[in-house]
Amino acid sequence: MIAQIESASHRTTGLLLAALMVALPGAAFGDGPEGGVDEGASAAEAKGDPSEKGPEQESWFTDVAKPAGVFKSHRNRSFENRYAHIMEGYTALGASVAVADYNGDGWDDLFVTDSSNGGKNLLYRNNGDFTFTDVAAEAGVADGNDATNASANSLWFDGDNDGDPDLLVIRFGQNLLYENLGDGTFRDVTAGSGIDDLYLNCIVAVAFDYDLDGDLDLFYGNYFAPVNLFDPETPRFFPESFETAANGGGVTVFRNDGPAKGGGWLSFTDVTDEVGLGKISGWSLDLGHADADHDGDDDLYVAADFGTDNLFRNNADGTFTDVTEKSIGIDTKKGMNVDWGDFDRDGYFDIYVTNITDEYMREGNFLWVNNGDLTFTDLSRETGTHNTGWGWAGKFFDYDNDGWLDLYVVNGWVSGNEDNYVLDIFDLIIQPDVDLADARNWPPMGPKTLSGYQHNSLFRNLGGTLFQDEAPRHGLDSLLDGRGVGLGDFDHDGSIDFFVSNANREPILARNHQPTDHHWIALRLEGEASNRDAVGARVKATVDGQERWTFVNGGNGFASQSTRTLHFGLGKVGEVEKLEVFWPSGATQSFTKLAADHIYRLKEGGKLEPWTPGTPSIAPKAQAAVPKAAPKAPKPASASGADESP
Amino acid sequence: MPRLPGALATLLAGSAVLALGAVAPAQTSTAALQAPAADATTDDASTPPAVPTPAKPGVRPELPVQKHYELANTALENGDHDTSLYHYERAVAGQPDDLKWGAEYRQVAIAAEAYDRSIEFFEALAEEHPESAHVQMNLGYAHVDKIPAEGAITQVILANTALTHFSNSLEIQESWLGFYTRGNSYMYWPAVFGRTPLGIADLEKAIALADGMEKLQFHGRAWAALGDGYWRLDQREKMREAWQKGSEMYPGLPELEARLAKEGDELDAYLDAQFETSRRVATHLREIFGGEASEDAP
Repeated sequence: MIAQIESASHRTTGLLLAALMVALPGAAFGDGPEGGVDEGASAAEAKGDPSEKGPEQESWFTDVAKPAGVFKSHRNRSFENRYAHIMEGYTALGASVAVADYNGDGWDDLFVTDSSNGGKNLLYRNNGDFTFTDVAAEAGVADGNDATNASANSLWFDGDNDGDPDLLVIRFGQNLLYENLGDGTFRDVTAGSGIDDLYLNCIVAVAFDYDLDGDLDLFYGNYFAPVNLFDPETPRFFPESFETAANGGGVTVFRNDGPAKGGGWLSFTDVTDEVGLGKISGWSLDLGHADADHDGDDDLYVAADFGTDNLFRNNADGTFTDVTEKSIGIDTKKGMNVDWGDFDRDGYFDIYVTNITDEYMREGNFLWVNNGDLTFTDLSRETGTHNTGWGWAGKFFDYDNDGWLDLYVVNGWVSGNEDNYVLDIFDLIIQPDVDLADARNWPPMGPKTLSGYQHNSLFRNLGGTLFQDEAPRHGLDSLLDGRGVGLGDFDHDGSIDFFVSNANREPILARNHQPTDHHWIALRLEGEASNRDAVGARVKATVDGQERWTFVNGGNGFASQSTRTLHFGLGKVGEVEKLEVFWPSGATQSFTKLAADHIYRLKEGGKLEPWTPGTPSIAPKAQAAVPKAAPKAPKPASASGADESP
Repeated sequence: MPRLPGALATLLAGSAVLALGAVAPAQTSTAALQAPAADATTDDASTPPAVPTPAKPGVRPELPVQKHYELANTALENGDHDTSLYHYERAVAGQPDDLKWGAEYRQVAIAAEAYDRSIEFFEALAEEHPESAHVQMNLGYAHVDKIPAEGAITQVILANTALTHFSNSLEIQESWLGFYTRGNSYMYWPAVFGRTPLGIADLEKAIALADGMEKLQFHGRAWAALGDGYWRLDQREKMREAWQKGSEMYPGLPELEARLAKEGDELDAYLDAQFETSRRVATHLREIFGGEASEDAP
């Protein structure tokens, strides 16, 4: 039924919405918006029983959010000020997920944000059997929402290089910084850190070592300008233009200066102007970093709503140069997401940016193919990744381990009632001389729909030139208003799973039980001279004579941070001929003949070692189960340690 | 030099900056209005002055509009868009109701990416000639010409403004071209805006008017657009019926043949591509004036 309606969606929006309103409630996601954590979650349910999914023609994924115990719905923030009629519609953000092993037990955990006033953020500890337990309160990180702050996102990063990830809670309002104490608890170290007392309305942050001094620096993407959204002093805090707005929050860069004086934790210094990022003032929605030109330092892509995206080249001297015009050109679109990955296996990291594509606005996404000279060409149309709807997170990963990076994209702004808000927007934009910056001029959104009920897409990479949407087949074409996609192999079975955060609805936890006989390896890196998280480390794997690149990223992708563990799908090949690691410090290491289907660990300068996850540090509520495909003990790889250049 | 009325004379003299309302100019108005560089010492009216000055009778001899038109074409042949625009503006100002000259001027403006200059020129011309249906038509087309060069929101504003001018044109004088143009423009709007039925009504009027006119092959395009309207409304039977009937009346019309040859997803993809806003719509009207046909003509 849905497929039939979809085929005519661009001509029958009203009917479509009405039909979906009838068809959807409870159809796929059970309890609806009020659904909470299912206390009866069991490991057996959470497994999704992959044994029943043998043939390659069947779905390879199962949504196990409910049995896994991560089914609590996100709630948008409601406002009580005089702009509430418009604010709520424009802040339907804040559903996010960040993946990291916070307790060092070898199993990736999840930090998930809520945005409602008084709503609790969630720290889902991985119990090792594909169930999770919310330990946010006992860990001390549950409180992120109050009358003057709304959680929007989060970021794990090892700011003090002590080996465990610290936590930045990103908020419309003021961000919170938590130090991981290494015992399963955190302490609030915001005060005195240099990021306190700043009302930045941040919506995204990434952490990477831009100045290569061995610690992670923080890059904020700020949406609104620094005004108190909950009690604004001026009504003129909305975008002044739909296409060239320059009155947003821009970017803020905090250099990590190490331990704070006077016994504080860490000290950060705002160096935005100093590094050359102070001139942009757009409505930042996402930041993404990667070494675009393989010169040993990470460059930065800024995706902005209501105006052009920007690309900044790292000059290797602690500054950046805006190379937008030459690299990607000026656009007027609504950039939402930045993820980097070498989808065409040419050795250079490409970029996926989502924009808005709907019947009333056909911007199309960007798939920026890296030409190797710091210029990029958008091949989204040619590759079939152009039109996903109103896009949010889009993440590269190899879900079938065939060696080609696939792409999962979540879409949809607000799925409300049968009334279409675009008509109200149309009335607004055709008014002559209307002051768009004045929130009072914007029509109330109420329960109306704007680009809602849009399918998510799972683009299978067909050899680096074309993608095919396989989401319907795998049951991953959710119509919920997706925001973030957190990737990780949560059961260490060699297949990448993912968590999808949905605005005002329950999340999805997609367990991957792909049945192919494709091989893989995973790699856990730890920096020594480099930052300990190894963010920025690039890795080249030679497989069957062909080179494949990946890197450790520090939070790329809208409203979601994926695992730091690197993953290579190998297809039918059972060995990595050569593995080369290019550390941010400049050191390189290389290894040969790595057996497939194993996880490896490498400390900078040390030996490449096989690694197996230990017992989860805290026994789960449900009966622990042995992971479905626990890694086998691999043959030791030979390490040459020879320095090489990319 | 042809008589240049008030605002238009000022505009052509290069000293006016017109308010554009909701349409933000992509380039500065003054730059768009300036005459191309030339030898400042010449006093020959066939060569545009380096520094635009108001026309002074007796100092710069007036040229007949036909001469300006010829000079515009000569400049165009030489690839000198600025000079061509300069002369075209004077030619069209002298014959504001000349649809052909106006259309040719706009094509030069497109080539020079001088979209705002074209809009401003026709706005001034419309102000001076409110009785001219063709000036309104060209003004609408000038907005359409700019659409592919703009972002999604500005495209909406431009398209909406174009519709206003097409309606103005029809209020002055009803014509096949007027109804077809406005009706076809409505087809670019997603169904959610509720404009498709308006377009269908316009196209039916165009088809009715064609019955009383000399039969020309491009009149069949109204049938193609009518079917497109039913496609937008997902009325597939009526859609195919319109195309079939049009094909019987105008056999061999490429637009109709292309549509009739496709079904299902292939047809949807084809029509989606036809209505892609980044795709330039040919607005040269050459078919009307006996020139070569173009499938993407309005």
